[in-house]
Amino acid sequence: MASQQILFSPAELAYLHRSLSLKPPIRPDGRAPTQFRPLTAETGILPGTNGSARVHFSDGTEAIVGVKAEIEKTIEAPRAEESKPESNEAASERTRGDWLELAVEIPGQRDDEASTVFLSEMLREALLADKEFAKKLFINRRFHWRLYLDVLLISPPLSYPLPLLSLTTHLALLATRLPRLKSEGDEDPMFDDDWEASTFLYPQEGTATNGSRPPITLLVVAIGDNVIFDPAKEELAVAETALAVSVAEVRRAQKAGDMEVDSKGRELSLLSIRTIDPPSRLTPPGVPHTSNTGSSAFAPTKLQKAGDQETEGVWKAPLGGTKFGVLDGIIQAVLEKGGVADEVLDGLEGVELS
Amino acid sequence: MTSLKRSHESDALASNISSKVYVRSTRSGKVQKIVREVYLRTDIPCSSKLCKACLQDAPRNAAQEVQPFVLSDKPAGTKSFPQGHYLVPDTNALLNAMDLFEQSSSFYDVVILQTVLEELRNRSLPLYNRLVGLTKSEDKRFYVFFNDFRLETFVRREPNESVNDRNDRAVRLAVKWYGDHLAQTKAKKVPAVVMLSDDRDNLRKAKADGLHASSLKDYVGGLEDGERLLDMVAESQSQGGFKKPAQMLYPEYFTLSRMMTGVKAGLMHQGIFNVSPYNYLEGSIKVPAFPKPLLILGRENINRSVDGDVVVVEVLPEDQWKEPSTKIIEEEAITRNENADAEEGQDFVSEKERKALQEQVKKTQKSTSESRPQPTARVVGVIKRNWRQYVGHIDPSSASKSSQGRKQANVFLIPMDKKIPKIRLRTRQVTELLGKRLLVTIDAWDRDSRHPIGHFVRSLGELETKAAETEALLLEWDVQYRPFPKTVLDCLPKEGHDWVVPASAEDPGWRDREDLRELLICSIDPVGCQDIDDALHARKLENGNFEVGVHIADVSNFVKPANSMDTEASIRGTTVYLVDKRIDMLPPLLGTNLCSLKPYVERYAFSVLWELNEDADIISVRFTKSVIKSREAFSYEQAQLRIDDASQQDDLTNGMRMLLALSKKLKKKRMDAGALSLSSPEVKVQTESDESSDPIDVKTKQLLDTNSLVEEFMLFANVSVAAKIYDAFPQTAILRRHGAPPKTNFDELANQLRTKRGLELRTDSSKALADSLDQCVDEQDPFFNTLVRIMATRCMMSAEYFCSGTQAYPEFRHYGLASEIYTHFTSPIRRYADLLAHRQLAAAIGYEAVHPTVRSRGRLEAVCKNINVRHRNAQMAGRASIAYYVGQALKGKVAEEEAFVMKIFSNGFVVLVPRFGIEGLIRLRDLAETEPEADFDAETYTLTTKGSREVKVELFQKVKVRVHDEKDEMTGKRGVKMELIEA
Repeated sequence: MASQQILFSPAELAYLHRSLSLKPPIRPDGRAPTQFRPLTAETGILPGTNGSARVHFSDGTEAIVGVKAEIEKTIEAPRAEESKPESNEAASERTRGDWLELAVEIPGQRDDEASTVFLSEMLREALLADKEFAKKLFINRRFHWRLYLDVLLISPPLSYPLPLLSLTTHLALLATRLPRLKSEGDEDPMFDDDWEASTFLYPQEGTATNGSRPPITLLVVAIGDNVIFDPAKEELAVAETALAVSVAEVRRAQKAGDMEVDSKGRELSLLSIRTIDPPSRLTPPGVPHTSNTGSSAFAPTKLQKAGDQETEGVWKAPLGGTKFGVLDGIIQAVLEKGGVADEVLDGLEGVELS
Repeated sequence: MTSLKRSHESDALASNISSKVYVRSTRSGKVQKIVREVYLRTDIPCSSKLCKACLQDAPRNAAQEVQPFVLSDKPAGTKSFPQGHYLVPDTNALLNAMDLFEQSSSFYDVVILQTVLEELRNRSLPLYNRLVGLTKSEDKRFYVFFNDFRLETFVRREPNESVNDRNDRAVRLAVKWYGDHLAQTKAKKVPAVVMLSDDRDNLRKAKADGLHASSLKDYVGGLEDGERLLDMVAESQSQGGFKKPAQMLYPEYFTLSRMMTGVKAGLMHQGIFNVSPYNYLEGSIKVPAFPKPLLILGRENINRSVDGDVVVVEVLPEDQWKEPSTKIIEEEAITRNENADAEEGQDFVSEKERKALQEQVKKTQKSTSESRPQPTARVVGVIKRNWRQYVGHIDPSSASKSSQGRKQANVFLIPMDKKIPKIRLRTRQVTELLGKRLLVTIDAWDRDSRHPIGHFVRSLGELETKAAETEALLLEWDVQYRPFPKTVLDCLPKEGHDWVVPASAEDPGWRDREDLRELLICSIDPVGCQDIDDALHARKLENGNFEVGVHIADVSNFVKPANSMDTEASIRGTTVYLVDKRIDMLPPLLGTNLCSLKPYVERYAFSVLWELNEDADIISVRFTKSVIKSREAFSYEQAQLRIDDASQQDDLTNGMRMLLALSKKLKKKRMDAGALSLSSPEVKVQTESDESSDPIDVKTKQLLDTNSLVEEFMLFANVSVAAKIYDAFPQTAILRRHGAPPKTNFDELANQLRTKRGLELRTDSSKALADSLDQCVDEQDPFFNTLVRIMATRCMMSAEYFCSGTQAYPEFRHYGLASEIYTHFTSPIRRYADLLAHRQLAAAIGYEAVHPTVRSRGRLEAVCKNINVRHRNAQMAGRASIAYYVGQALKGKVAEEEAFVMKIFSNGFVVLVPRFGIEGLIRLRDLAETEPEADFDAETYTLTTKGSREVKVELFQKVKVRVHDEKDEMTGKRGVKMELIEA
């Protein structure tokens, strides 16, 4: 887990859990359940990159993303579909996972640490799952763009940085421009040397290819029956379920899918959901070994019983999986018209691209 | 949140910093976004001598000196700008009229903006190089103003502004700044700052800003000799030029990326386009993919390429493959009566051309499997134009229709080089230019224009005058003939002609030099030779062996590496010998005096000393810098006489006899090893005296034993030196190789010899070739052997200089000399390669340290490439000069001479006249008043005519021809005309 172990006492945790389970929940920072932390953002901060963005959350976390594009020769794949494991369905769209390289850097952590790798794979997975994105990197049958995304958290990881990194990546990709292609067909690509003539990877409104926007990944937690977006670290510490939900915007009508919900002019499609082990699931310090969920295979059954003896005012790590109803509720909240994803995308639209 | 971006408003210092963003595509196919920061300064001077303020602020070098200011304080005025003016051209002005800026009557005090210079470099590298040359010349007063680095003149690109608009704005701002800046100097007469542009929009905006601006045409029109200068404006860009027919005559070129993809995939081929010297509609291109060159036939397939261009071709389908033409097709004959003005009425392929093509097809069909159709290709794009300036004259027939008055007229220029197509010119001075040798450049060749469009640069003078013709051929062969600049002359020894070898052996010049003044050394050269490179001696040693010395002028003692004299020599590459003139590689002080091994004076030399035994085998060899004193400078004839005169028994003569005897043994060894004795028709033009230099007679060169004596020892020295420097510098030795010709080169000749004479030409090795060439004799005809040798020579590759690291040892071989390794060492006065060999040898024997330029392989390769080209050009120029003088010598004379048929076409044949060493073309239509019908048998190389005149001409046949000079009224060229008297 990216955020460090939070050193709250069981009593504090129980208090947090209680207030967040209320209807409506009372969040420590006073936000509404679907409200995001206020953020400031700017793009184009790194002149040497193809696109870059910087986002600053009000809690002091800050991230920078730089996008670099490089031409690469497409190696003719053998007819047998042996797609790379991580690219799954996207491979069918002639794109392969290795067209995109994403590196996450969290201060104070090694870049091969499991949690960092997990974080970067989550961001990458969402991008690759978006079929639109794959098409954008295609130049011709012999060449494609290869993108390098460098995602840097420049503040200490005060909270789980997934939403921050995702939003920054989203903005950086929106601001990404590629040199204008001059050659045609399957020729070796040649480009206009005028940077002003370069085209946006995601063309803006009003252009002929009024396309989609890069996906965003939202972090959602469920506490009791409440669905809370963009949790702060305290909220994450008592979450029963934590999900990373990736959503992309599709402008063109797509074949009906269960997950699509209409909203005026904006169609959202769900790209992926991943459960995240919140710190609440970790055994806090001082818990006897017998009741440690992680220590043995038999633990759950035993602990189920132990859970019964819940003491009021003392925090106990939640047990068991996510209920389907909760999952459904989360997806609803994300995708519904005027829902959170809609709101976030609207908010990000206001960021000036340069 | 404070923004991390650099803001241009808030920061006080930010105005000094800007950035430039562009996309760079690398050769390896990478595409990068490049951001360059630009730091703006305020101390970049305006460089006007009027301005005191700039002089104070201008940056100083380490010696606290300011770069001297360039622009004159009293610039020339014109009608519109009587107060004097500085010119600020924009890019298109330079693109259209670089020749104007180069000429000397006007265009002084010019400010070249950095913006313009950079844009020009992107548009045309050759023009850029010419402009840079101009900015370096002191008398033209061109100043490069770095406007993009000066705070006041820097222009930020607006959103949605095109690069061109931004650059135009930068030019206007710079002009404005210059104007305001000069106004502050409070000079009595402030010069106007005039922007020159051909861009109407730019001119309009400049006028709106209240700047002085003028189009090229208006500006030049206001100058004194405006009429003449206007012709130098490039044709293509000037507005409202030729009427544009809607019809496109040529196929469009492929895009660069498409060609590159094709070339990489091996579907298209890149190479240098060559035009056949006999048929202007037939070209060939040698590509790495195929052993034989690809043919390119017809205007449409040639698709606007000019001889020397680097083009990309695509192979045509097999049903369009053809035999190479057996006809002589000369452009002037076929397109004789074209009108330069009327373009649209004509078809792309004129009627006559179409006819020629039909016959071509017939020919191809008639031919049997013996001569199979050759793969043909078409040009799909041009990678690099190699257009240079061409010398030619105006086709009078194209001028007659439109030469009235001073009106602008379109005329055709016929280039001297037959491989170059006619060039369409627009000029106001047809009447003056008719009958003159002209220098022109090609500007463009559009799809809708049958001929390339060019403009006049300057006139060299009347046709057929010696000065004009000589300059023409020097220009045509790109020989540097301008006098040596001052910087070069500054490198000469201060003593000048009074320089002598220091008397005291303590002098640094004597360091490591051997004193060989006691040896009986002499030189043998052609009559009147002034630049004596080499001298020889031989003496008998006590042990019965011989000591032989070859002493070469020690040029490297005077020409130090990498100074401006060395640079100039490396550019010139070689001395060019014309009939009446010598264009030196080194300043004459060195060439004809200080380095020349003149008799009776002491000179520095570089000596190769051998000990040879009776059989001319090397016992030992050594190399040393020396001081010698030549006893006598002989001509070949004098030396021969002295050797033959048995009464002369002095040591010097006996030494020469020794040399002669040894040289014969050396020659025999060489011949046994398979050296070829090849021939080219060589003649010598005799002129009456140096002053008039009117040729009076033409003589074939006579070869004496003494010629061969010198030659043998020079070869011997070259081989010894080559081995030594290769030993010392295995990677960087300057060597000379002569590649074995591919067997296919001899196919045609071998076939001709077999069918006509039943002779077998074996070409598996140089030895076999030498032997079989010896067999090619005709009892009745001693010249036949020479003829075959001449023809064989033409099948060979040309020898070339190379740097030893670029080839494998077996490739070092000199095919013609049958030597494993070879270099040029013996003529450093007239060849740059020899000078390099001298430096390397000096380093090899530890005389001096290796200079970096002699060691860097990349540099040496570049030098080799240049001297190879220069060497060939010098030969060509020399031959062209002889041809011109032969023509002049024959002026008004008629000679009947023997000639030999060298080449047969279906409508004519080429003969060689040994007496004059010239080749001439006899066309069927020259045979009789009405062109006789002819039957051409390509397999037996026989041409039989019927009808108005009946003759049978075969290859190798001896014929009698009448040779006289003829001035072709159409081309204005005096050429040699041959008529067949009897077959």
